[in-house]
Amino acid sequence: MKKSSGKRCNCRMVFYELRNINGNLMPHFFGIIFPNIMCFLLSQTVISQVPEAARETANTSLMLSLSLVIPMSIMFLGYGALYAQEVEREIPLRMRLFGYGVGAEVLAKVIAHLIFMTFALTVYGLFQGLVMDMKRPTVQAFLGWILSLYLIGGVCLVLAHGIAGICRKFSLTFGIDMILYFMIMILTGMMGIKTDQLPKGLQKCAALLPMTHISNDYVDFWLGGSYRFMPLLQSFLFLGAAAGIVLLISNHTSRRQNRV
Amino acid sequence: MLLTVKQMQVNYGSQRALDITRPIVFGEGERIGVIGSNGAGKSTLVKALLGLVPYQGSVVTQLKKEDMAVHMQYNEYAQTMAVKHIMEMLLNTRIRENRELLDLIAFFGFEGCLNKRYRALSGGEKQKFTIILVMMQKARLTIYDEVTSGLDFETRQRLMERLVKWYQDKEDTLLVISHYYDELEHLADKLLVLDQGRVVAYGGKDELFHTYCGRVIYVIDNQEANRKIAAGFRLIKAPEHLLAISAGSREEEEKITSVLLNNDVNFKRSHSDMEIMFMNAKERFYQEQEGQL
Repeated sequence: MKKSSGKRCNCRMVFYELRNINGNLMPHFFGIIFPNIMCFLLSQTVISQVPEAARETANTSLMLSLSLVIPMSIMFLGYGALYAQEVEREIPLRMRLFGYGVGAEVLAKVIAHLIFMTFALTVYGLFQGLVMDMKRPTVQAFLGWILSLYLIGGVCLVLAHGIAGICRKFSLTFGIDMILYFMIMILTGMMGIKTDQLPKGLQKCAALLPMTHISNDYVDFWLGGSYRFMPLLQSFLFLGAAAGIVLLISNHTSRRQNRV
Repeated sequence: MLLTVKQMQVNYGSQRALDITRPIVFGEGERIGVIGSNGAGKSTLVKALLGLVPYQGSVVTQLKKEDMAVHMQYNEYAQTMAVKHIMEMLLNTRIRENRELLDLIAFFGFEGCLNKRYRALSGGEKQKFTIILVMMQKARLTIYDEVTSGLDFETRQRLMERLVKWYQDKEDTLLVISHYYDELEHLADKLLVLDQGRVVAYGGKDELFHTYCGRVIYVIDNQEANRKIAAGFRLIKAPEHLLAISAGSREEEEKITSVLLNNDVNFKRSHSDMEIMFMNAKERFYQEQEGQL
């Protein structure tokens, strides 16, 4: 059989994937409603617990921490759920049979998810900016934050793709994704428990995740202070490597079973 | 020659699902029907041709993957959006700007379904949807794997009528897998008979009928009185409730007709009964296998 050149990713595929995301309420709830409501409600608690002079800083810290929910919800939970459903129904096989290669399909999904994540971040920024008093960031801190969110989103998507590829069942994939999602949120301080309040062993685990370094210390950099980037970079490398290994296992499993 | 399957073996664990020992050649423009019971290896053959299962042996062809369009036995799509969006994405076109697609949609009466979600389509509509997508690929080889499975009799008949009508003046190469002999009678001009993963017979429909059934057959009810009447003629394998009398020549045919008419026996004369041909091909195949042993 001659090798196929395959169809390339195009705008129509990206719009299709956006519609696909739109048909799944998970990213809307966990990626838009949940962080906005959570941030707003927690800020009300913060107001009553911290002195007035520290409120803006506390709100900023809260906003930074909960912004991490957005890439995790959309790129990890949302993508994982959507892709697992498709794998279970063998929809990627249909795509291959209609001449779309894995690359084109995944690229369209990634672009669509990035667009949705950008929309969710914009809504989050505008809403929190309107309802909460926060400190303005330095340009470097703002760009660093945005870059970190997209990097976290990218790594989360690779991880979700790998898990769905290994499990090949929606229920199993969703169960694993949900456990990891809430574990990460608890470990990295997004659920209100500070990382330094956790047992030592868990603190070490938390330090391996980039979310921890954004959630706990990044506010200092946001306010113009100093920030040690090395732990953040190391944690990105660790999570990226872990996601890469999961993806490799997934690809290996698929090849062994000769699934497309 | 469009495609040749050589020495193809497919194994699922320790079980051999397909074992093609002699070359199978698909010619350009041929309509090949594949018949066989469950587990005969029909869908496995399709999967192997598409490279979806690992196999030993070779498929010799100039075809690329995009030159093959396939309607699998089970087809699933995104459940949460209107099928028109799925159609536009898969075919990379706009429905309202594509005259050919609009004609095909109208041909299958699918206009009313375009705004429905895939999960809201009925079984027949789902099959039509994939058929439209497959036809629009205009591939050099189109494969239909049990396209009417799970449909009620009326829907199946209507769908097949549409398919037959669509292809009657076209020169596409088709590989049609079906459990229903009547579907293949209308769509196929060659038959590949599979059983337990092995090729029982392959050839033109008429040629195979002639080989395994003779010039013509007479089918009558399997009753005591009829068995006595048919005893003097050459009986071949038939479904349990029937008797099939084979006639090898015009004279023999006239004799059988005369006896059946004189005895007032209801009969059906056929020179293309695929079910009986299939049964006899299978029987002879296994007799030859035993003979070789």
